[in-house]
Amino acid sequence: MLLAEQSSKNLWLDIYNTGNLHYCFNCNTCVSGCPASHGDPPLLVRNLARKVILGLEEDLLMDDTPWACVSCSRCEEMCPQNVMPFEMILAIRQWQCRNDETLIPSAIVEIYKRGYTQAVGVNLELRESLGLAPLPTITNNQEQLEMFREMLMKIELISDNDYMFKG
Amino acid sequence: MQLCFFPGCNTPAIRPDVERAIRASLPVLGIEVVDADNYVCCPAFGSFPSADEEAWMATSGWNLSIAEQKGCDFVVQCGSCYSSLRMGREHLMHDVEKLAHVNELLEPTGRQVTGKSKVRHISEVLFQEIGPEKIATQLKKSLQGLHGIVQYPCHTLFPSEVVGFEKSPRAPEGLRRLVEALGATVDSYSRELQCCGGAGGFMKSTPEQALEFAKTKFDAILEETNPDFIAVSCITCLMHMERVQNTFNEQVGEERYKIPVFDYNQLLALCLGFDPKEVSSISNVPRDSVLSRMVPVKPKA
Repeated sequence: MLLAEQSSKNLWLDIYNTGNLHYCFNCNTCVSGCPASHGDPPLLVRNLARKVILGLEEDLLMDDTPWACVSCSRCEEMCPQNVMPFEMILAIRQWQCRNDETLIPSAIVEIYKRGYTQAVGVNLELRESLGLAPLPTITNNQEQLEMFREMLMKIELISDNDYMFKG
Repeated sequence: MQLCFFPGCNTPAIRPDVERAIRASLPVLGIEVVDADNYVCCPAFGSFPSADEEAWMATSGWNLSIAEQKGCDFVVQCGSCYSSLRMGREHLMHDVEKLAHVNELLEPTGRQVTGKSKVRHISEVLFQEIGPEKIATQLKKSLQGLHGIVQYPCHTLFPSEVVGFEKSPRAPEGLRRLVEALGATVDSYSRELQCCGGAGGFMKSTPEQALEFAKTKFDAILEETNPDFIAVSCITCLMHMERVQNTFNEQVGEERYKIPVFDYNQLLALCLGFDPKEVSSISNVPRDSVLSRMVPVKPKA
């Protein structure tokens, strides 16, 4: 049973401040087409919408199913109430990161350091063998990479956690 | 026509033969490919979009400004890059405050976003800008006699209001028509529109179930069709649909799943006469069964 004192009624304002969220009538369309609904535990998008609306803060903070989303956006297409569930999933992840820095994806550190999550443009021999010129990547342009980093460092989530990005 | 090619990360890092196929085939069809100098991660949905809205918009803005500076639209193959760039642009174009703030962040870097450059998927450019009819007239080789199936990238279908270009996202036809233009017959099957399941955290968080999900698709393919190849138009679909077939074979202890997977531009570049060693050399499922059966097209008198 849901206890009133466990509920933080205005949680939705902090997570996903859009009026359409409250039009969700729990129809399950978002779940029925979702690849990650086959997971264990399953990603049940409508349950996430309920948690946000009802303000189940602790439960939602511990819930890692939003991270199983494949971003296919079927839910976004099919939702009859225009809740935009994929945007909601991203918003929940962002809220989790704001409240628990250990959830911040390491991919953003990679991007800060070299512009990409992968080593792009360093496979010069392979590229040449395929008839490809070197790629004009930011990894190989120190001046541009520094500008990109300076821009990111002006953003609160990044400057607040700057220790992740140094060294 | 000029288009600025946004390569993403997987294509240039892991499958540069796909990049070669794109850079080789587009100019033959009248598209001049311009480099996206100093582009950064699109950003991938699992990165800034999952951590912070402001950082997502700033990174999108950085990339969008490059196409604007070049004075043309982006052309993108990777489904995730395409969708992330389209969504980023959508957010910025529908919120003047957000746009103004991103331009403040970009200002010291000499960049600016106005929205004048659009983001286009390569299958849309091929299907709607160039067209299957024109493609069919340029071929040196054909896939005549071969059967294929197509995998539409989810990110080009949904949400259709933001990323779509098909008449109906529930009955897409672009990729089918493009493959047919190369002479092949395209077979339909019940799970044609099922996601490959390769993007995001599904495979990482619950790999057993994610593989089972992909297997339902492949079992439907084998039961309902007899394809010589799968044509995709997204780097994640390409890599995932190869990788899972190898895993299934290990699970069942026999080589049951061995359908060659090609990015559409690879098939196109092969049919335009480019060297398979350059445009189709990297794969985890052998492709010889397709390459050896391509037939020369006689020049019209």
